[in-house]
Amino acid sequence: MLSYRITMFQSKVAAKIVAPIASRAYASVASAPVVSTANGIKVAAVAGNSDSPLASVSLVINAGSRFETSESAGAAHYLKAFGFRNTQTRTSFRTVREAELNGATLTAETTRENITYTVQCFKEAVPYFVEVLGDIAAATKFAEHEFKDVAQLVGFESLSARSDPMSRALDGIHQAAFRSGLGNSLYALESSPVSSGDAVRQYAQSALAPGRIAIVATGVDAQELANLVSSSRLSSLVTPASALSSPAASFTGGVQQIYDSASPVSHYALAFASEPASAQSLAALLGAQSRIKWSSGVLPLAKLAATDGFGIAPFSFAYSDAGLVGVIVSAPNTRIKAAVEKVAATIQREIASASGEAIQRAAAAARVDVAESLATQQGQIHALSNIALGQTAATLESVDDAAAKLSSAAARVFKSKPVAVSIGLSQNTPYVDTLGF
Amino acid sequence: MLEPIARAVQSNSAFRAICRPLSSAWVNLSGYRRYGMRYDDLLREETPIIQEAIARLTRDETDGRVYRQKRAFQLSLSHQELPLTQWTKPQDDYKYLQPLIEEVRLEHVERDAFNSMTFVKK
Repeated sequence: MLSYRITMFQSKVAAKIVAPIASRAYASVASAPVVSTANGIKVAAVAGNSDSPLASVSLVINAGSRFETSESAGAAHYLKAFGFRNTQTRTSFRTVREAELNGATLTAETTRENITYTVQCFKEAVPYFVEVLGDIAAATKFAEHEFKDVAQLVGFESLSARSDPMSRALDGIHQAAFRSGLGNSLYALESSPVSSGDAVRQYAQSALAPGRIAIVATGVDAQELANLVSSSRLSSLVTPASALSSPAASFTGGVQQIYDSASPVSHYALAFASEPASAQSLAALLGAQSRIKWSSGVLPLAKLAATDGFGIAPFSFAYSDAGLVGVIVSAPNTRIKAAVEKVAATIQREIASASGEAIQRAAAAARVDVAESLATQQGQIHALSNIALGQTAATLESVDDAAAKLSSAAARVFKSKPVAVSIGLSQNTPYVDTLGF
Repeated sequence: MLEPIARAVQSNSAFRAICRPLSSAWVNLSGYRRYGMRYDDLLREETPIIQEAIARLTRDETDGRVYRQKRAFQLSLSHQELPLTQWTKPQDDYKYLQPLIEEVRLEHVERDAFNSMTFVKK
């Protein structure tokens, strides 16, 4: 893989400078040891740069929205919002104030697979925050009076996601592609049956099985972290009687048309099923965004978008048992049909049978993206939690593997039947079965 | 200052042995059970702490509280008492509000402590 860089720089000196940095900083995440505690919680950490005083610790629970049933729809979103609230040992007020005094940042996020509570802090504060995270897992109260506040926050997040066409399109794409399981919305909709702290507690109880939990950290030694976890409340967790389960993802294919006559712009999302490991490289091959400022570059979709004047954004998702790759096309209502048809034709004609040069370009772009993300704390946390929980992690090794098979993957994926979501003036957006796939 | 003394007296077993037989008689004499009320219905509610505690009651508890207070008010107006069978039974006269008041009070104490924090340079 290094050969790309060497040919790029045409200089042995550059290769010598690049190589040690690459092997030192990035390889560590993929080779990070995963330690299991006595009760089966996975612990993974990268010690990272010893000069930096910064660290992060995350509690990752494999209980994202794909594990919701019709009775618990939206529970993952509520559980995320209950992070850092009152526990048996600490009030949320204390948690927040002490985090502020330590200069720490508390965040909670959820994907379709994992709920992640992250603390970014200084290295010396890590033992304290491991305790805080242990309390979240073992002792959150889910008090009814807090549920009112949480519900307001959740309601606002859901509403703003619904009013953003991009996140609505991506939610719709999952629904059309996978129906249940991965098709569940990331957000608790107004129709969510979760209406009390007790309902969230029930979901949390089955979610908080030690086997579903990972503690990942950056800037901390893995063994040290495992010791901290063993002495926190996390060690008292036992496997609950009822376990969460999610139907295995199967790409069903389908279409969603969301009518919005008030918007002058229509959006059209087109997504293909792919191997999870190759999704990101395939998105780079779609390469709808030029990486060169002030130029549309040579990428076919970027050139098309620039000459015809519409917006295009590629996306990819890699789950443990499924991958999605596609583009979102945005154009004025009058031009959306032509734009989508041209994009579909370009994907079939040029991208599905991409040449050696285009493949190399995509592989390099994907490699840069992954390397760039692994150089950030956020990216390391994501990769570590995926590795610890045995999910699809984006590492330089995985992206190189995908690059080797990219040409055959493109030919297979971009000729398969896609799913589509249109948002806007539905009369103008084409049906997916008229696009020739 | 007084609180530790009160707690020490309360937990003294000899003192409890003397007081326990008297306590139920005392409660009955105070009369609120004749109006179908519970002790926690009588607590002064015009403080921010108790207002917050009342807001945290479940729907059923709030409904019961309002019903008991209205009924007692009505009985008092008409100079009546409930028939003996409808007096509050001792087992129904449990602390439904006091734990919440204590919870909110501790939250206020904690908040004050954080707000009046002094920093010590190590």
